[in-house]
Amino acid sequence: MIQRFLSATIYTLSSVLGIFAFLAPFFGIMLQNDNAQASAPWLMSAIVGLCFISLLVEVQGTGINAKHVALLGVLVAINSILRFAEVAFPGPGGFTPIFLLIILSGYVFGAQIGFLMGALTLFVSALITGGVGPWLPYQMISAAWVGLSAPLIKPLAHLLGGANSRGELLAIMLFGAVWGFAYGAIMNLWFWPYATGASTHYWQPGVGPIETLQRYAAFYLLTSFVWDSFNAAGNVVLLACFGAPVLRALRRFRKRLDFTYQPSGSTV
Amino acid sequence: MIHPFAWLTWLIAVTIALSATRNPLYLILIGQALAIVNAVSTAQSRQPLTFWKPNTLVVMLVVTSALFNALLVRYGNTVLVRLPAWLPLLGGPITLEALVYGALNGLALAYIFIAFSIVQRMLPISTLIGIIPRAFYPLAIVTAIAITFVPTTLRQAQHIREAQAIRGHQLRRLRDWLPILMPLLIGGLERAFQLAESLASRGFASQPTQSTQQHRSTQLTISVALTGLLSGWMLRLIWAYDTLGSILMFSSAILLFGKLWMLGKHAPHTRYRQFTWNNADTAVVLCASVTIAVLLLPWPAIERATLGYYPYPLVSQPSFDLGIGFAIVGLIWPAVTQYIKS
Repeated sequence: MIQRFLSATIYTLSSVLGIFAFLAPFFGIMLQNDNAQASAPWLMSAIVGLCFISLLVEVQGTGINAKHVALLGVLVAINSILRFAEVAFPGPGGFTPIFLLIILSGYVFGAQIGFLMGALTLFVSALITGGVGPWLPYQMISAAWVGLSAPLIKPLAHLLGGANSRGELLAIMLFGAVWGFAYGAIMNLWFWPYATGASTHYWQPGVGPIETLQRYAAFYLLTSFVWDSFNAAGNVVLLACFGAPVLRALRRFRKRLDFTYQPSGSTV
Repeated sequence: MIHPFAWLTWLIAVTIALSATRNPLYLILIGQALAIVNAVSTAQSRQPLTFWKPNTLVVMLVVTSALFNALLVRYGNTVLVRLPAWLPLLGGPITLEALVYGALNGLALAYIFIAFSIVQRMLPISTLIGIIPRAFYPLAIVTAIAITFVPTTLRQAQHIREAQAIRGHQLRRLRDWLPILMPLLIGGLERAFQLAESLASRGFASQPTQSTQQHRSTQLTISVALTGLLSGWMLRLIWAYDTLGSILMFSSAILLFGKLWMLGKHAPHTRYRQFTWNNADTAVVLCASVTIAVLLLPWPAIERATLGYYPYPLVSQPSFDLGIGFAIVGLIWPAVTQYIKS
């Protein structure tokens, strides 16, 4: 009971801090202090990093066993190959096939596996494709959020017809489309406050939240919307084509993953 | 071979230098330092630096960034050309200043990419996995498994592709990938269960890494650290208690890292390749630290104002400080070390 409460506290605090850190540029009017405004972008990076570390410690501490480790290792390897293929033969715009398995793993195996699947896919694929850079922690935490939030589809999927129905697939496709845009919007935020220039599309300390939002909207529409549309459309198309059979396969293996042998005579 | 932590310190110094300045003279100097380190490390590593050659990457990013900035930013006195006003979003003057500013940003981005690529090339993947903090031992195992399985999975994909081709299967539409993806996924998951049995039979995770009490203590410490972090940040941002907020945030970060260190102490750890720290590594770290200190801290003889360069409203000649220049030259030290060792 206490463990669950503490776990919920860590998830809540990390999420609040992480979201607040990413959205820090929009709270300009709250920041009465000039020093705080100037150091906000640097602090944002540090806070996002600390939140990510906290979540990783919590996620790996909650009963990760040999089956989880092996399952994650293999799924991450398959997903990294999909990313490798994407880097070698780039698709249109922001199209990427990696979210197919991140979303479906998170949906079937739960938030813990989804979170690790998102974070580790980006980490391993960066190692094998030479994509390590200052952007990697942000990519890892954003992709981890995709997997972490995947179980949230379940109420909507249940409402639309439950397991193995067209409604369930529709709900997952909708989720994929939303994250196609959200992933790009979040990823922009890691460098947007640093990319100050003489433009009405960039962040500047002291600008009110409404104007900051307008500037970001202009920046996003100009630089990312079309790019992310391909990501969102790609997620929808991949989930429509492969979602149902992959879901069935993952569900079959989940039963084997949950199976535990209790020798007779042992006490529980 | 230079110690991984010496490489990481050098990488941090390069990243800080590239974040701290947009002065083209300093950027060129950093570029030259990177080129020298790259040239020496090329002789020692057979891997290519990136998918693109460094010069191609620099040209590509500089041109893209310059054009992008010039098309979006209307500031600057030196108008090169005017695009017709009827062009949505793009119509208006294209200025030299916007081109220069965009090019400088592109140059910094390209150099960051090259610096990371150099380190990634010089450190084998096994070393990079070894850098993962010991507190994240299960995740390091997952990463090692994933990297080991990548070639196996690629071979498996090739076998499935050939088997399906023999059956007359052709890849025309997206759905045609299903007969390749599904056997690959199911085969991979089957292998995962075999691997899990092997791990379990060798005693992996036979006992929880932390007892319930230890886990609860970890959770409590993290909760306290996160609460402190949030409170400190709020104190700084909303109520302008800078010192109190900073102390609270710093203490929370120390608490979190302390807990990580404690967790790491209990993690099983085996090193097959020991890296020894020698004088050359100390020299690399010292030079990188000097660069960081000169660029970040105020020094009486250093003109830190020269780090900034703003081409608007009229492009001007950038100024240069000799001390900062020498500090940046210190970034070539990994090349010197490798050259001496070879």
